[in-house]
Amino acid sequence: MIAPEAAPATAILEVRNLSKRFGGLWALRDVSFSVAEGQILGVIGPNGAGKSTLVNLITGLLRPTSGQVLIDGEDVTGSRPWVIAHDRVARTFQIVKPFRGLTVRENVAIGAMHGNERDLTVRDSLATADELLELVGIAKHANDAPGQLSVADARRLELAKALATRPRLLLIDEVMAGLRYAEIEAAVQLIHRVRDSGITIVAIEHVMKAIVSVSDHILVLHHGSIIASGEPRDVLSDERVIEAYLGHRYVKRRST
Amino acid sequence: MGQFLQAAAYGVVQGGLLALVAVGFSLVWGVMNVINFSHGAFAVTGAYVAWLMSQRFGLDPFLAIPIVAVALFGFGYVIQRGLINLIINAPIFLTLLLTFGLNLVILNGLQLLFTSDDRTIDTSYASQSFAIGVVNVPYGRLAACFLAIVITVALALVMTRTRLGHAIGATGMDRGAARLMGIRARHIYAVTFGIAAALAGIAGTMIATVGSFNPTTTPGQLTLDAFVISVLGGLGNMYGALVGGLVLGIAESIGGLLLTGTWVNAIAMAVLIVVLVIRPSGLIGKAQYSGRVEV
Amino acid sequence: MNAGPARGSVAAVLQRPHRTLVQVFVDWIRTRRPANSWPALLGLVAFAAMLGVQQLIEPGTQRLLSAVFMFVALAQAWNLIGGYTGYASFGQVAFFGLGAYTVAVLMNNYHVSFWLAMPVAILAGVLFAVLIGVPLLRLRGHYFAIATLGAAEGLREVVNNLTPITGGGLGITIPTFGDQAPTPYFGKPGFYLAFLVLAAVSVAVCALLSRSRFGYAMVAVNEDQEAAGAVGINTTLVKVVAFAVSAAIVACAGAFYAFQQIEFYPTDVFDASFTVLMVIMVMIGGSGTVAGPLAGAVGLELLSQFLRVNLGAYNQLIFGAIIVVVVVFFPQGVVNYFRDAVRTRQFSIFDNVRRYRL
Repeated sequence: MIAPEAAPATAILEVRNLSKRFGGLWALRDVSFSVAEGQILGVIGPNGAGKSTLVNLITGLLRPTSGQVLIDGEDVTGSRPWVIAHDRVARTFQIVKPFRGLTVRENVAIGAMHGNERDLTVRDSLATADELLELVGIAKHANDAPGQLSVADARRLELAKALATRPRLLLIDEVMAGLRYAEIEAAVQLIHRVRDSGITIVAIEHVMKAIVSVSDHILVLHHGSIIASGEPRDVLSDERVIEAYLGHRYVKRRST
Repeated sequence: MGQFLQAAAYGVVQGGLLALVAVGFSLVWGVMNVINFSHGAFAVTGAYVAWLMSQRFGLDPFLAIPIVAVALFGFGYVIQRGLINLIINAPIFLTLLLTFGLNLVILNGLQLLFTSDDRTIDTSYASQSFAIGVVNVPYGRLAACFLAIVITVALALVMTRTRLGHAIGATGMDRGAARLMGIRARHIYAVTFGIAAALAGIAGTMIATVGSFNPTTTPGQLTLDAFVISVLGGLGNMYGALVGGLVLGIAESIGGLLLTGTWVNAIAMAVLIVVLVIRPSGLIGKAQYSGRVEV
Repeated sequence: MNAGPARGSVAAVLQRPHRTLVQVFVDWIRTRRPANSWPALLGLVAFAAMLGVQQLIEPGTQRLLSAVFMFVALAQAWNLIGGYTGYASFGQVAFFGLGAYTVAVLMNNYHVSFWLAMPVAILAGVLFAVLIGVPLLRLRGHYFAIATLGAAEGLREVVNNLTPITGGGLGITIPTFGDQAPTPYFGKPGFYLAFLVLAAVSVAVCALLSRSRFGYAMVAVNEDQEAAGAVGINTTLVKVVAFAVSAAIVACAGAFYAFQQIEFYPTDVFDASFTVLMVIMVMIGGSGTVAGPLAGAVGLELLSQFLRVNLGAYNQLIFGAIIVVVVVFFPQGVVNYFRDAVRTRQFSIFDNVRRYRL
């Protein structure tokens, strides 16, 4: 279902030789992969590996230095963020970005109003928002200000906002970072539910344990390049991955 | 040719004065993210202080400078400490509104005290000049310009070489971190504003010596010039303000020679907009404390 | 993916929604949000009352009130771009002057009827807004404020120097007598009515927009542009449209003002204090609401007229002092203060001051 070369015809997202340079630093270098419809792709890597840059490049917040992004086989490299959103690609932000002056319900409703079912009226959007708040489990905060939410609930709000645009592909940027164990469990279940509703997911995570349990396939980024790709179990036992996360002394010690 | 050289010379001395007006404005904007609408009013207040000294005691304006500086510093310190600090964390345009209200109060106060007549500080040397080739250089303007440059450079040195300068710079870059380091932000802000007011007052005194001023049109023109120079030179950048002032002074005097009417003003505005769109960090210098520029 | 794939099928989903710009606009303002109807009712009653009492008011007072109505329209217009969208323009007077001069030049030089010249003035305002909005709306905060200020100053200088067309610094006069007049002068009652309708239309437009999907888009742009783009809002388009609608209202006000004044100079209709008054009225009333600019404009204009009549030379001084005091005590605007105070039951003004203090 994932093949770095010769992507299958159903690839909903394909990234070809994507690179991004900030001054003298390559945040991302020659990254290629594709995602098939209905799958969950986990992207992991240590801090500064280029994970968020990857999301920003795909969703049009940044322009790549070189390379291409294709959605349904169509080249969308360098498109503005709202064009990508209307290509049915939604995202969450690692540092949550709620519209602070609006209620939680209105935050989600904006996604419904300006996303892909654009014949919705304001009233319908608010109703949709209520459904989504129910789905992610923060319905009781519907009329609160987003600033009052806990970290975990703020992340759920991000998810609900993204889902409200009716995406086919959802890019989740570190939705589990900083959550407690029980909250991570809930988040994992939520991701499964989203996938079951037919949405393809690319989940960027730093928390390795969580991602392994949800992903069909895993990519490991390190210093802006893919250093491993494959089934979760294989990737986790890969020496280069362990080295990237834990340092090469640990690898040495284990092998002796 | 001689005409151009004369215009250029006039532009340089005028530009030095404008730079002195702009330096404090740029400092306040860069450090506190406050656009001081009443900056021109401070300059004119300084001019009135020196004018009073001259009228009452026959004090030479150059000798009145320390008095003007101290008076305006105190005035600025109190305004910042007592008023602007109260809403410094509010949405940015409120500080602009506050200083606009302040501007109205100061200007109308001055108008009630001194009427709206044009004033000038008379000195024996104001009308004397010497010639370099075909170019006439008035002594008063040259001295004023020289003083302006010296003060600007001195301020730049204070900012980079002294504890106070570092404290101001640090507060401008990250107020929270600066406070954690033991810097008293309220005091530092007030000192910064006081310095800016004092510099404006000195500049106003110089302008009053070499030309005329009134409380209705002079302050607005000075504030607008300070705007343009700060943007050209980069916010909070002292040397940038100096170069920006000279550029504006020369451009206005030569432009005035080449173009009829006030087209030169229209062109100045067009240049301002283009600079903002293409290089918001400033055409000449780099904006300092840029961490706080966009809030 | 040929004609008419079944709804819900992959093929149907794959088809990107293609819409014309007009469809997008219609889409934006369509709303069935079950709005509170009492503000609309209250507005209608107020409008009817102002219409009804006109006969009872002396012409001098009618003139005064038409200034109040004009500022209601101007404040509402500024609120669209400065309040809702969060782009504080310090150059809205450019559109005022542009509207005024378009009308004056057309009526004076070409004997065009006011009723034809006014729509042209609005169009000119919109076009100029798009022209400068596209590059300038990329700037943020103070930079946008100064760039728009520069645009207004620059436009004034252009008008000042295009003497053959605009009369330059000597001003321009609209012919209003006899055969020379393209449109008969309205007189004080006529302008009372004109500005009242202008104010009512502006309030209605802003109220409708604020409740619509476009209103939410403006707020989203104001709050966080990256997040707004991510949920599918074309932030560039929203900003430019908000700027253009604002410009249209301001230009229309300028058109009526020009006709009312008959004779004016560039420094009159490009006076930066018009912009500043718009900003102050919105900020003091409460930005991002419909009631805020309305209250701000009525309150401040009446206050300033009162001070002018009763305090003579001191009026500007006191006016400035009042601005300082209100900004310090109600930094979020009077309407927003009372709304929040009622909601949280905290009426202490000193707590309010404490929020933004260093």
